[in-house]
Amino acid sequence: MELRAGDSWGIFTFLCAALCNLPALPALNCSEELGAGQSIQQTYDLTRYLEHQLRTLAGTYLNYLGPPFNEPDFNPPRLARAERVPSATVDLDLWRGLTDNARLAANYRAYSRLLCYLRVLDGQVGTAELRHRLAHFCASLQGLVLSIGGVMSSLGYPLPAGPAGPPAPSGAPPAPNDFLKKMDDFWLLKELQTWLWRSAKDFNRLKKKVPPAVVTLRLEARGF
Amino acid sequence: MCFETKERRMKIPIPESSITVTIKSSGTAFATKEFVIHQKDISFAPDTPHILSLMPNFRTSTLNLKWSDNGSDFPYGLDALWQIQILRKEAMEVVTQVTYYSKLTHEDVILSWNWTSDMPLECTSHYVKIRRYINATQFLGPKDWSDWSPEKVIPGKDTEPGESGVFPLDPVVAVGSDLTFCCVHEEDQRITNMTYGSKSYKMMRLSSRSHAIRVLNASVSNSSGTNVVCRLENGLEGSVAFVGYAPDSPQNLSCETPNFLIIKCTWKPGRPSGLYGDRRTTYSLFERTSGKNVSCEVSDVNKDHVCGFPVLPDQKTYDFILGVSNPIGQAQSSLLVDITQRVRPKTPEKLTVTGNNSTSIQLRWFINGSFAEIRLLCQIEITSSHSDRKLHNVSVPGRKFSTYTAELNALHPDTKYQFRVRCSAADHFWRWSDWSRGVEQTTSEAPPARGPDIWRERSPSGESLRVFWKPLSLSETNGKIVSHEVSCHQLETVLERKTVPEPSNSTEIKLGKSDCEIRVVARNGAGSSPPSRITSVELPSDNVTTDQAVAMGNGINISWDSYPNMTCGYIVKWCHSSGSEPCSVDWQKFPSNTTNAVIKSALFKPGVRYNFFLYGCKSVGYQLLKNVTGYMKELPPKTAPNFIVEETSSDSILVKWEDIPIDECRGFLKGYLLSFAKGEKDVLKPRLSESGNPELKVNNITDLTKKSMKILDLQGKTSYQLELQAYTAGGLSPPNSLYVVTKEDSVGLIIAILIPVAVVVLLGVLASIFCYRKREWIKETFYPEIPNPENSKALQFQRNICEGNKTLKTLEMNPCTPNSVEVVETQPTAPKIADTEMMSPAAETTVPEDGSDSEMENHVVVSYCPPIIEEEISNPPTDEPGGSSQVVYIDIQSMYQPQIKPEEEPEIDLVTAAGYKPQMQLSISALKIEGHSPVEEELDKTAGYRPQTNTNAWNMGTPDSPGSVESNNENASFGSPCSINSRQFLLPPKDDEDSPKPINTGWSFTHFFQNKPND
Repeated sequence: MELRAGDSWGIFTFLCAALCNLPALPALNCSEELGAGQSIQQTYDLTRYLEHQLRTLAGTYLNYLGPPFNEPDFNPPRLARAERVPSATVDLDLWRGLTDNARLAANYRAYSRLLCYLRVLDGQVGTAELRHRLAHFCASLQGLVLSIGGVMSSLGYPLPAGPAGPPAPSGAPPAPNDFLKKMDDFWLLKELQTWLWRSAKDFNRLKKKVPPAVVTLRLEARGF
Repeated sequence: MCFETKERRMKIPIPESSITVTIKSSGTAFATKEFVIHQKDISFAPDTPHILSLMPNFRTSTLNLKWSDNGSDFPYGLDALWQIQILRKEAMEVVTQVTYYSKLTHEDVILSWNWTSDMPLECTSHYVKIRRYINATQFLGPKDWSDWSPEKVIPGKDTEPGESGVFPLDPVVAVGSDLTFCCVHEEDQRITNMTYGSKSYKMMRLSSRSHAIRVLNASVSNSSGTNVVCRLENGLEGSVAFVGYAPDSPQNLSCETPNFLIIKCTWKPGRPSGLYGDRRTTYSLFERTSGKNVSCEVSDVNKDHVCGFPVLPDQKTYDFILGVSNPIGQAQSSLLVDITQRVRPKTPEKLTVTGNNSTSIQLRWFINGSFAEIRLLCQIEITSSHSDRKLHNVSVPGRKFSTYTAELNALHPDTKYQFRVRCSAADHFWRWSDWSRGVEQTTSEAPPARGPDIWRERSPSGESLRVFWKPLSLSETNGKIVSHEVSCHQLETVLERKTVPEPSNSTEIKLGKSDCEIRVVARNGAGSSPPSRITSVELPSDNVTTDQAVAMGNGINISWDSYPNMTCGYIVKWCHSSGSEPCSVDWQKFPSNTTNAVIKSALFKPGVRYNFFLYGCKSVGYQLLKNVTGYMKELPPKTAPNFIVEETSSDSILVKWEDIPIDECRGFLKGYLLSFAKGEKDVLKPRLSESGNPELKVNNITDLTKKSMKILDLQGKTSYQLELQAYTAGGLSPPNSLYVVTKEDSVGLIIAILIPVAVVVLLGVLASIFCYRKREWIKETFYPEIPNPENSKALQFQRNICEGNKTLKTLEMNPCTPNSVEVVETQPTAPKIADTEMMSPAAETTVPEDGSDSEMENHVVVSYCPPIIEEEISNPPTDEPGGSSQVVYIDIQSMYQPQIKPEEEPEIDLVTAAGYKPQMQLSISALKIEGHSPVEEELDKTAGYRPQTNTNAWNMGTPDSPGSVESNNENASFGSPCSINSRQFLLPPKDDEDSPKPINTGWSFTHFFQNKPND
């Protein structure tokens, strides 16, 4: 069975399959067979999907945190302890000046850590419905981490050292009180939003740089 | 005693009653002071107490104060009062002061006192000091409080450099509590506002670095807690308050074991606490007998909370305490259970059918549990398609993780059954387990339970015999019927044997004239039924009657007399169609003691005739006893009876009709209705019965044997409409119509001509005789030989009338010599004078003006006697047409010209009394009163023209006339030409009487308006 690049049905099928299966895969060792262009496109799509998903999740979660966190103009000063969440507020020119490899590695590291915090957050939420949605988002984000890893390996970059899976965020002490914990959550969601927005731009740029080749998918080998 | 001191105070022992004290100062200047001290003058103030410790509890905002009572210094049993003062803030405002009581025991005792602050201890510094009063009863002098101890301080966070935040941190409180939060910040910062939830609160200043808000009656916080935020100029501090309820005590606590391995306790949690996460309500199950404690993991999703407790060896009774707690409070609920009485076994599994025959089945199932100590009661639910749900209970000894079996008997062969099972404890029933998954099993077939119900009927020829049987009911077939076996036995020899496959329910046996015993067996896969027997012998029957029967209720009732020699009962046989052959035969058997039967069948239809045959059964054969025809329900006949006119005469019609076919009768025929009335053939004509024709006559013929009828007393040569309807108890059939014309009645016609002729002739003869008898008188009267007008009766008659009515002047013949009027010249005044003169002979008559009628006017016009004074009318108008006419026409305008002459009025006076009204001046006022009484007319002598008739009858205004248009207003105009003689308008008057007044006052005006519509 052959799928031609640009076949929208094929892309759609694969995207769905990737979304469903990526979190379960131990590593994305299949990506090198896809070709860099293809996997960048998929990563881009996944980033946009997560952006969309986060928009609704953040609304619900901030309402759960209660006022003033759900107020639209709430912009608290970033506390020093919130720095443990990787910040995406690097100067744009500085960011553009980085190599593709460095940017991809930064993305990979950032999402890996953000994922860890997100998992902690998931465990603390009081309502079952919100817990379920957070778990769903975590699974999607895990897929993105693996997908970025796939892009890096397809481009021949080494995976950055450090946490690739979900190790516990041992470096940062748990917040001493509930209010600071809420502040952490707030910043986590905010950073996630910024990261996803910037990643989408990164992958879009990368996509133009690496045009998608005609890729042969050996789907039967993947068990699809 | 001598004491030496360098201070300016001295302690000396208390004297018994009084003491003399001498104070001497040593040194260069020598001075002595001596005085006496009495005991009652010495006041008693105890030593200042000393605070041993002051411990804060920041979480609960509680202070713990400890001090020693120094009791060893005092005798035993003295009362001690302690005054404790709490101060707050930098300004040391007194918050509270309490008095604490203790008894001294001549020992040093450490006293302790707790105080809970309404303000978090972190918010600002709290100070405590204490003093005492000892009620030394033996002491005579005045007693006093000790001095205040030095303050002990618990410093607030606002005193620690670099400390900031909102306090208390993450408090958990009950709903309805009052909460105080303070915001501690750096000295150089300023607070913008403080909010609790989304609401901003008014701040109280505690110190330069601390401000507080007070939240009263806090309500339940949301699931992540209510945020308390302190916004600083360049920063944000916060805390989260958790407001909820203490847990309800668990309701409906109930424990049971499903398998004797674990005890499951369930309860309803009651009101949610409103606290989540680490602060949620936790449950623990404590068993008092064994002292074992189990903490319960419950999810907040489930309504019913469940907690498991292991079954302990050799323990039957369990005394459970379910403890519930959250940070706000705790509760508990207890239950004492004997678990052998609280068994709800697990759902039986692996239900299978093992043994199976046509009437019994073996079931096997497994229950996961150790029930060795009890007996189990299991309930098997049996359902099948053609029987109700049945429950079968089996009691089995319990075993450990074992399979249980049960056998079910008395099942029906060839039936599909569904089984499922549930169990409970047999001895102490508590609850049933859930039903197991169902299994389905069909029992095997068995031979049919009995032979079919049979009947036989000889063919009309008598050569063959048709044998009928009824299908067995589902509960009797015991399997699928394959065929029926029919055999014919004479004694023990088989004459004929036939196998008839399903679904046939009859067969024919060639028998000839002989008889035999017929046996029928039903056969299915498992075997044959016992045979049903019937003899073919039909006994002769005499005087068989036919009854009629109509269903009462839902069946047709047939009754018969008791026939004592019918030993083996009765049979009612019928066909399901009214047609003779072929028909589907049905029958019903009745025991010999019955004398009536109600035959019911779903196949019976209303309006269909059914024939029932009642047979009696004797040991030697069957005998026909009675026929019954019946209807389930009688309906009106379907069609109209056919009828023809056999014969017509001038006064009668003979009608003949035919029977309606039985199928179309739809009921027992009761009679016919023959109706007739006069009527022409007309398609649109309604039916006679509906027309409401008063001449309608109806004959009701109830004698069904009568097939014709003569209608008498009809009129000759007349069209009649006839209608014939049949009727049953169900109603009338549609009518059949005919039109018949009766024959001409010749005698009547002749008579009708002859009688008037005879009468006329007779009258003629009588007149002739009369004329002949009175011929002299007639001649004298009508045809005298010399006519004499004087004598003429006819003329006399006329003159009499003239005399009788003086107004008739026409035939005043004596002085009347007809003359012709000669008009010589037109002069305006002349006609008027002439008019006056003309009528003078009539002046003596006093005829009221309004008495004149049209007839009289005619007289005036036609029989006008010329005036005697000829010369005075010598000035006729010039426009008079010809000279020969007696009638003179004048222009009405010219006639009115003299009106302006007032001197002519007296002349008019002379003739006012006369019927004639002179045509004098016509003023508007005169016109107004026209039509009034003669008396009133005295007033209008000046009036010009007077019409010679009742003026009310016509209108003087003829708007169409050209003259009127020309006339001016002063002269109310009369446009019509007018006869001089009559003064009557010659043009017909218009119907304008409705508005005489406008015409009078200003005619041209009205004319103007009236003219318009005419255009």
